[in-house]
Amino acid sequence: MDMMKIFLVALLVNNVVLMRFLALCSYVGMTNDVGQSVGMGFAVTFVTVLATAATWPLYHFVLLPLNLTFLKILVFILVIASLVQLVEFYLKKNIPGLYAAMGIYLPLITTNCAILAVTFENIDNHYSFIQSIVYAIGVSLGYLLAMVLLAGVRDRMKTSPVPKFLQGTPILFIASSLLGVAFMGFSGLIK
Amino acid sequence: MKNLWKIFKQGIIYENPLLMLMIGLCSALAVTSNVSNGIGMGLAMTFVLLFSEIFISLFRKAIPSSARMPIFIIIIAAFTTMVDLVMKAYFPALSKSMGVFIPLIVVNCIIMGRVEAFASKQKVLPAIFDSLGMGLGYTWVLIGIAAFREILGNGTIAGMQVMPQSYQPILFFILPPGGFLVFGLFISLNIWLKKRMQNSAKERA
Amino acid sequence: MKNIVKLGLILAIFAVGACASLAVVYSITKPQIEAQDQIALTASLKEVFPDGEIFEDISSSVVSSDSEIIFQNAMLVKSAEVPLGVAIKASGASYGGKATLLVGVRLNRSIAGVRVLELNDTAGLGANAKNEGYFVKKAEKVTFPGQFAGKFITDAFEVKKDVIAITASTITSKSLTRIIKSAAESAALWLENSTVTDGSEADQGAQQSSVTETTGGK
Repeated sequence: MDMMKIFLVALLVNNVVLMRFLALCSYVGMTNDVGQSVGMGFAVTFVTVLATAATWPLYHFVLLPLNLTFLKILVFILVIASLVQLVEFYLKKNIPGLYAAMGIYLPLITTNCAILAVTFENIDNHYSFIQSIVYAIGVSLGYLLAMVLLAGVRDRMKTSPVPKFLQGTPILFIASSLLGVAFMGFSGLIK
Repeated sequence: MKNLWKIFKQGIIYENPLLMLMIGLCSALAVTSNVSNGIGMGLAMTFVLLFSEIFISLFRKAIPSSARMPIFIIIIAAFTTMVDLVMKAYFPALSKSMGVFIPLIVVNCIIMGRVEAFASKQKVLPAIFDSLGMGLGYTWVLIGIAAFREILGNGTIAGMQVMPQSYQPILFFILPPGGFLVFGLFISLNIWLKKRMQNSAKERA
Repeated sequence: MKNIVKLGLILAIFAVGACASLAVVYSITKPQIEAQDQIALTASLKEVFPDGEIFEDISSSVVSSDSEIIFQNAMLVKSAEVPLGVAIKASGASYGGKATLLVGVRLNRSIAGVRVLELNDTAGLGANAKNEGYFVKKAEKVTFPGQFAGKFITDAFEVKKDVIAITASTITSKSLTRIIKSAAESAALWLENSTVTDGSEADQGAQQSSVTETTGGK
C-alpha cells in the first residue's frame, strides 16, 4: 500500500510542523483557540490540495516540455497566491462569518511555507499525480493535527505557573519540543 | 547618516525579525542543525532581501497599490530563483543540504513583511540599510542557534571537531525537538537582553 | 475597466522583466549545474574504485530485479590494465523521497564501497547516512555506507542483525540497504555472466570461489 505509506509518513512520522519546521508563523500565531486552529487547518488543506492539482499538471505539461523549469518558483507561488485570492472572494461572498473570523490570516495562507513546500516536493520526489494529492492531504492533515494539539496545550497553559523568563513565546517552543519528542515515537510505525 | 545607522541597528536586536517580530521562523529552525547551513541560509536570505528591497523601493512609485502583492511576489520570486540557480551551480553540496528551504525563501515572511512595511514606502538608501540590518539580525541568530546545536549535538562547528574526543554528542540537539527547545531559550534570552537595554537606557535618561 | 487593463499591463511588464532576467541567469548557470552532477559522479566513482581510470558504460546490460529500484547507469570500471569491478548508480524510495546511491562491486563479488549521492531524509536522522562524520561504529569510525565495504553479496543483509542501522532511522537504513543489495546482486550477476576477469585466477560461477583473491575489501 504505497499510498498509505506516503499518507502516514506525511501525517505523523515526518510531521510537517513538529518534525520539519514548516508553517511555523501560523502555528505560533493562530493557535490561541482550538476552533481557530481547526478552521485554519481546513483552509490550508483546501488550498494545498487545490494548489497541488494546479501546479503538478502545470509543471509536467507546460514548464517541462517548454524547458522553463527555472520558472518553477515564480509560477508556483503565483498560482498559490491566486488560489488564496479566489478562496477569499468565495468566502467573502458565501460564508462571510468565516471570512470575518479569519481576518488577516486568510491572505497569510499565501506565505504558508508548508503549501509551497508540498508543491515543490511533489516534483522533486517524482510523485505521480495521485501520489501528489495523497501527499498533499497527508501533509495538511498533519498541519491540522499539530495546530490543534498546540491549541489544546496553550489552553491548559493559561492556568499553569510558567516561569517568568519563559512566559509568552519561549514556553510555546519548549512545549512544541516535547510534542516533537512524542511524535518521534511514530517513526516505528512504518516497517 | 545617523538615521540610517539607527535603521540598521533596529534589525539586530530591538526588532530582530526572528526573536522579536517572530517572522521567518520556518527556515530558521530547519537549517540550523549545523553552522555551514546557517551561514549559507543567512547569506542567501540577506541577498534576496537586499535586492528585493532595492528594486521595490526603486519602483515604489510605479507599483499600483491594488496590485502590489503580486508584483512583490514576482520580484521576490525572481531573486529567490537566482539565488537557487547560483547555489546549484557553484555550491551544489550546500544547495543539496538545504534542499527545499532555498526556494522557500520566497515565502519568508521577513522579506514579504519588510518590503510591505518599509521598502515600498521609503527611498532606496534607507531600504538598503534596513535590509542589511534585518539580514544581519537574522544571520546572527541563525549562527548562534546553529553553533549551539552543532557543538552540543555533534561536537563540531561547520564540520570541524571542537569538543574533545571523549565528548559524547547529545543527539537531541540536532533533532527537530532540540531545535524547538534551543529556539525557545534564545527567544527568552533576547527578551531578557532587550529589557536590560531598555532599563539602562531609562537609567541614563 | 480601463483601470484593470492598466493594472494587468503593469503586472505583465513586471512578470516579463522577471522572466527575462531569470532566463539570462539560467542560461549562465545551466552548464555549470550539469557539470556539477558529472563531477560528483566521477568523484564518487574514484572513491569507490581509487584505481579506476576507464569507465565503460554497460547500462543496457545491467537489469534490476527489483521493480522499485531503478538503475540510472552502470559502468565497468577498469584501471589502465585490468578490470576492477562494476559500479551501479541506483535509486529507490527512502523515507523522505528518492535516494540515489553508487554501489561498487569488485570482481570477487565483494562490495568495493557505497556512496550516497542523493538523500532527502530527515536531517540529523536518516540524513546521517550521507554524513561523512556520522559513524555507526564509533570506535572504528565506520559510516553507514562504509560498513558495506568488503561485504560479500552472499552475506546476509538484514538490518539490525548484519547491517548496523542508523539510530532512530530504521526506515532509511532499510530502504538504503535494499537499494545496495539490489545493486550489488545485479552487479555480481552481470560479472558472472560476463567474461571479465582480472587476469589471474578465472572465477567460474560458484559463489564460494570469491575467497581466492587477496584483494579483499577493507
